[in-house]
Amino acid sequence: MVPKGLKRFLAEAGEIGRFTARFFNEAFKPRYEIQELLRQCYFIGYNSLGLVAVTAFIMGLVITIQSRPTLVEFGAEAWLPKMVSVSLIREIAPVITALICAGKIGSGIGAELGSMKVTEQIDAMEVSGTNPFKYLIATRVMAATLMVPILAVMADAVSLYGGYLGANIHGVVSWSLFWNQVFETLTYSDIFPSIVKTFFFGFAIGIIGCYKGYNSSKGTEGVGQSANSAVVISSLLVFVLDLLAVQISDLMNFT
Amino acid sequence: MNNMANENFKNIRVGLFVISGTLLFILALYLVGSQQNLFGDNFTIRSRFYNVNGLTQGNNVRFAGINVGTVESVEILNDTAVDVVMTIEKKIQPYIKKNAIATVGTDGLMGNKLVNINSVKESATAIEEGDVLVSMGPVEMDEMVRTLNVTNENIKVITTNLRGITDKINSKNSLWSLLMDTVVSENVKSAVVNLKLISDQGISVTGNLKGLTEDMLAGKGSIGALITDTMLSKKINQTVVKLQRLSDTAAIITGNISQLVQQLKQGKGSLGILLHDTSLVHNLNKSILSIDTGAVNFNENMKALKYTWPFKKYYKKNPSKR
Repeated sequence: MVPKGLKRFLAEAGEIGRFTARFFNEAFKPRYEIQELLRQCYFIGYNSLGLVAVTAFIMGLVITIQSRPTLVEFGAEAWLPKMVSVSLIREIAPVITALICAGKIGSGIGAELGSMKVTEQIDAMEVSGTNPFKYLIATRVMAATLMVPILAVMADAVSLYGGYLGANIHGVVSWSLFWNQVFETLTYSDIFPSIVKTFFFGFAIGIIGCYKGYNSSKGTEGVGQSANSAVVISSLLVFVLDLLAVQISDLMNFT
Repeated sequence: MNNMANENFKNIRVGLFVISGTLLFILALYLVGSQQNLFGDNFTIRSRFYNVNGLTQGNNVRFAGINVGTVESVEILNDTAVDVVMTIEKKIQPYIKKNAIATVGTDGLMGNKLVNINSVKESATAIEEGDVLVSMGPVEMDEMVRTLNVTNENIKVITTNLRGITDKINSKNSLWSLLMDTVVSENVKSAVVNLKLISDQGISVTGNLKGLTEDMLAGKGSIGALITDTMLSKKINQTVVKLQRLSDTAAIITGNISQLVQQLKQGKGSLGILLHDTSLVHNLNKSILSIDTGAVNFNENMKALKYTWPFKKYYKKNPSKR
């Protein structure tokens, strides 16, 4: 027989799949909750900007400082901006942004929807005639899907600035030389896959947070649980998606 | 109302956030694209290579070491030619001439492949859209390594020879004994010391010579006096003048002698008369004739005397005198 744990995992995966299918089913039908979408964009996007910017800045600075000794060993110190820009744009900035968002947005959505669920606000909404799936879930998932890429672009910029400062701690790289080297190195095959995958990251964060919150049970205890598992699963999904994205882009010769 | 204003404020922030993010993204795309010459005025040129060494689409094209374009495509034309199409910035067009040479090179030792376009000394008109540049074979690592291999072989032979030489030096004592012999080196040392002494003396001699010539020039010593004494030279001058006068008088004397001889010829003066008087010559002739007859007579007398005693005895003893 199939072990109990695997059974539960498969059942949950199926549930999430059905939940996602329901999202696509309902989200693109009128009537659209534009005002609520903008409100969610504000919370998810604008309110996360500071956190993402600080994290990205620190990552850019740290990666640059950490890469230097190895490059110096090869006598390729001049390649520091090139190497740092490629690793930041292709991988570090998008993934760090997604993880921060998974922590902040995933837990937020999970806790908010969970508490609404256990206090039976969602049921009340259904009774009053508004579609709770459209109003609560579609807007949040859409907002997360749209805002995470923008956050990732900003994280790219801020992390490269951090890289510029990091490159100037021990060496001297002028402002224009740094950016010249960065854009000389980068190609569209670096930028496009890395931005495209952040849409999926955002979608995964939104959908997992909503699923966990929407399906929470067991009272106030369940709220904490759903927030916790939303963060864990969405973080894990970010890495799984990253693995998929890198293989697909590799297959399509975006190297 | 307050709630509505608050909502509006939030929406503006979201709008700003989205717009700035999108602008950043577009800026990045533009900067990356402009590095690859996707925007702006371009023109294309071609070149055909025998071997492109892994050159691919998107590699840089450098003119005189400056990035001016990218490789647009690399296509095989036939078994010995690969067609490389390059997109070049329009503003570079006047500087690339039709006789420029394209080569496939490497950025650094291990970097990306690239096309180098270099000008040649001869003048030509500027390149135009679609022109085909002359290509030159790339510097191939393999060939370099092959050449290095030959060099290595040569070095091996040379070092073997060198080793033989040093072995011979080591095995035979003559050179070593020469090198190690302290007496020889002492001798050489002393010889060198002597040489030094000689040269020192030479220096002093030349110094003396110099002093001497200087003294001479300064009029010191007899030669110097001779050379530099102005009185002496005056005297010599006077002597010469006197000599001149003497020769002048001699000329006068010879002139007088000449006159004298002339007068003599014309019979002037006592000696002239003596020489030119014909009667005197006649008389002299007469007297010479009479002397002649006198001498004949004397001869006969002498003959007669031969046969007379006591001279007869003498001629008898010496018959050759007859």
